[in-house]
Amino acid sequence: MTIFLGALRAEVRAASWFAALGEPLTEGDRSDAAAYGAALGFDPVEIGLARDWPDAERLLKAPDWTPDWWDREEALRKKLLAQAEARYPERALWSQLTDLTTETGDLVHGKAATAAARMGNAAAASIHVAAGAASQAVYQLALARLAGQSASPFESKFRLYAAGRWPLGILGSRLVLF
Amino acid sequence: MTDIVVKTVEELKDAPAEYREAVSKLVISHAINELYGAQVFDEPAIAYAPTPYAKWLTCRVAMEEYGHHVRFKQLGTQMGIPEERMIPGTGKKPLSIFEFPLKTWEEFVAIKLLADLAEILQVEDLLHCTFHPLRNLARATMPEERFHAQFGEDFSAELVKTADGKARLQAAVDEYYPYLPSFFGGSKSRNNEIFRKWKIKQRTNDEMRQDFVVRATEVATKYGLTLPEIRQAA
Repeated sequence: MTIFLGALRAEVRAASWFAALGEPLTEGDRSDAAAYGAALGFDPVEIGLARDWPDAERLLKAPDWTPDWWDREEALRKKLLAQAEARYPERALWSQLTDLTTETGDLVHGKAATAAARMGNAAAASIHVAAGAASQAVYQLALARLAGQSASPFESKFRLYAAGRWPLGILGSRLVLF
Repeated sequence: MTDIVVKTVEELKDAPAEYREAVSKLVISHAINELYGAQVFDEPAIAYAPTPYAKWLTCRVAMEEYGHHVRFKQLGTQMGIPEERMIPGTGKKPLSIFEFPLKTWEEFVAIKLLADLAEILQVEDLLHCTFHPLRNLARATMPEERFHAQFGEDFSAELVKTADGKARLQAAVDEYYPYLPSFFGGSKSRNNEIFRKWKIKQRTNDEMRQDFVVRATEVATKYGLTLPEIRQAA
């Protein structure tokens, strides 16, 4: 069976990576964030906003984050990976995912650097953090698509990135967007 | 010494067989070790990272290491090396450090601090390589390798702020450091002799090992850490 990720590659190229960081939230942002939180079992969830890079860095380094959010995504990722592995030859699947994340990583790293330069006050390592988060989101979505799961939380998570946001996760009692 | 400069993969076809074989060995070695590192250390470390900031930073580091594998594999493919020779578990024996699965965040920080320094030295030695596609690849990966070593320094600086964190990091250094000097190969390596003959690499394995020990001691001292006795390479 051929592994086809061409549509996702096109979506990745067309996304407005990190273009709306710190901007006021729109109804669309709130709707995608609520859908993302609900799909992970956080329903309802309060939506928060990080104003700038130092604010985002402080939130991401704070000890009061909610590991449940990360763990639920990880559990789902492992499940989707197992489903994808059942559908495709292991090496071909692995090669496609590695190529996709490598290609995406280079793209989003540049976009994060541009956003950081435009807004100012970002730590150099934070550009890598943003690129890691965005690449992970694409990898998760690729797994969902390859597993044939069209209703996964990774769809709404990607939509937030595509709209220029960076979902920072469940931090304290809020789902925080940057 | 033999003077030769190979500017493109196309030109490699006209190079002496010994040169082609030597370059192939290096590309295969880098492709495999980059992948081993990403699979054995970087990807598992994401689970141990203490905050979302550290987790996503580790994600990026893992992706860059996978990316290095992809780049070396792409070069190898252009050179006509079969893909299966550039994937772990298909022939070439892994370095001994890869046989010890990661168990803690402190171990990962120690590996980034010291093992990535060893990797920097290996890549540095290719920056003047006579096979220019490999030289260019080394130049492309060098900034990322330096960032990974800086990652090790930054998180070491965090860990040593507490006595408990420093003790855990020191224990990780004690466990992993003894395996690193052998990363540079044997003192009387025939491969290294051929690499230097063709100026593919510049230094002997022992010169690189000694340089590593000096630089590793400097960086460990900077964070109040000590290095244990090392095992001699074969």
